[in-house]
Amino acid sequence: MPDEIRRLSDDLARDPSSLVFMPLADALRRAGQLDVALRVALRGLDRHPYLPDAHDVLARIHADRGDLERASDEWEMALRLDPSHPQANLGLGFVEFRRGDLESAERRLSAVPPAEQTPGVAAALAHVRSALGARPANGAAVVVPNGSGPAEPIVAPEPTAPIAIAPVETVVAVQTPAPPLAASAWTTPRSTRAVPEFPSPDPTRTKQLFDSALDGSDQHALLVDGDGLVLAGAYVDGSGKDVAEVIAAELAGVSSEAERAMRHLGLGAWTSLLVEADDAIVAMTPAPNGSLLVVTASRKTPVGLVRLLLDRVLARARDWLVRVS
Amino acid sequence: MTKTPYAELLGMLSRHRGVVGSFVVSERDGLAVDSNVQIGVHAEAVAALAASLHRKARLACGAAGCGVVTFLRLDAEKGGVLAAGRDDLVLVTISEARANVGLLRVEMMRAAKALA
Repeated sequence: MPDEIRRLSDDLARDPSSLVFMPLADALRRAGQLDVALRVALRGLDRHPYLPDAHDVLARIHADRGDLERASDEWEMALRLDPSHPQANLGLGFVEFRRGDLESAERRLSAVPPAEQTPGVAAALAHVRSALGARPANGAAVVVPNGSGPAEPIVAPEPTAPIAIAPVETVVAVQTPAPPLAASAWTTPRSTRAVPEFPSPDPTRTKQLFDSALDGSDQHALLVDGDGLVLAGAYVDGSGKDVAEVIAAELAGVSSEAERAMRHLGLGAWTSLLVEADDAIVAMTPAPNGSLLVVTASRKTPVGLVRLLLDRVLARARDWLVRVS
Repeated sequence: MTKTPYAELLGMLSRHRGVVGSFVVSERDGLAVDSNVQIGVHAEAVAALAASLHRKARLACGAAGCGVVTFLRLDAEKGGVLAAGRDDLVLVTISEARANVGLLRVEMMRAAKALA
């Protein structure tokens, strides 16, 4: 491995614009040099921002660092650039698996076209289906059998997909009457990380969480997680339809992109994003746990007031997140 | 060397106090069409990210029924990024904290109308 890294480093030094940064970053990742791997991958992406494989490599590095949110962002970017990218589907399937969303993981992995089905995808799909089959209908706790002793990792083939999934101990926890949260294991061969438990808040109350902090019916607030899923708040459009989930999905990754832009510019942490549209003003700010807070107000509302609203709603969101975390 | 139709506009924006760079970027693919930036600014990477942010804001505003995005302002501790778009093109300015954002906003929104 050191020889391979040295050779690839030399190649990259000779031609910094070459694509050799991808195998080099991946080799560094597999050697456990995650910080160096991250630097190499980011520098390469600066030059080649539209290479799905490069985003895939960066995602793997983030995943190995335990940062599933960023890993997910990068795999999503890879899929935007190449919607049939099997490794990105595999990666996102693993993220969903790790978060206990077995159905989504199964859907995603089985959607990979047969021609693109690598052995890694097939093995992961088999494992997810096995875990799904082991989940009881009544939500009782279950340990997915995986044999005793050292786990047998499902390893995607090298060099394209060296990520491994090791079902060390797949436990489906139960919280009646809320749906069970799966604390699944998704590990690399080097580490085993637990998934933090997250309580299931009352959905009707979370939709109204910010109502008292807003001043009128033309104002809305949403708390969106790093994956573009609604955590709290609501947004009802002019026709009375709740479009919160659509808005949240469109805003997935805003926080990480804003952060990356500011990092490139050396302007410090981003504090707010203000969008003026024909009929509304939309203000966003980073919230705890990698989430994003979004406030919208009609165009009549002074911009300064929207920023004050944002601060007020952020205080409410912080308080709520502390209580539910 | 041929000047693009945006060279004069970008030069005008870059002369503002606290502006370290400005560029015209294609929202669709994130590629900078023309730029006027100080040495050391990662124009290509920032252009791609600004275009992506603009696209996300446009799509979210579309979903929310907020109409067309006219201006975007990303604030950070020591400065920020301003963007005004028209069709596929986005005019982006990188500014330090000392920049007059109000003035830049007016000029960028006026200039954005002349894009495309």
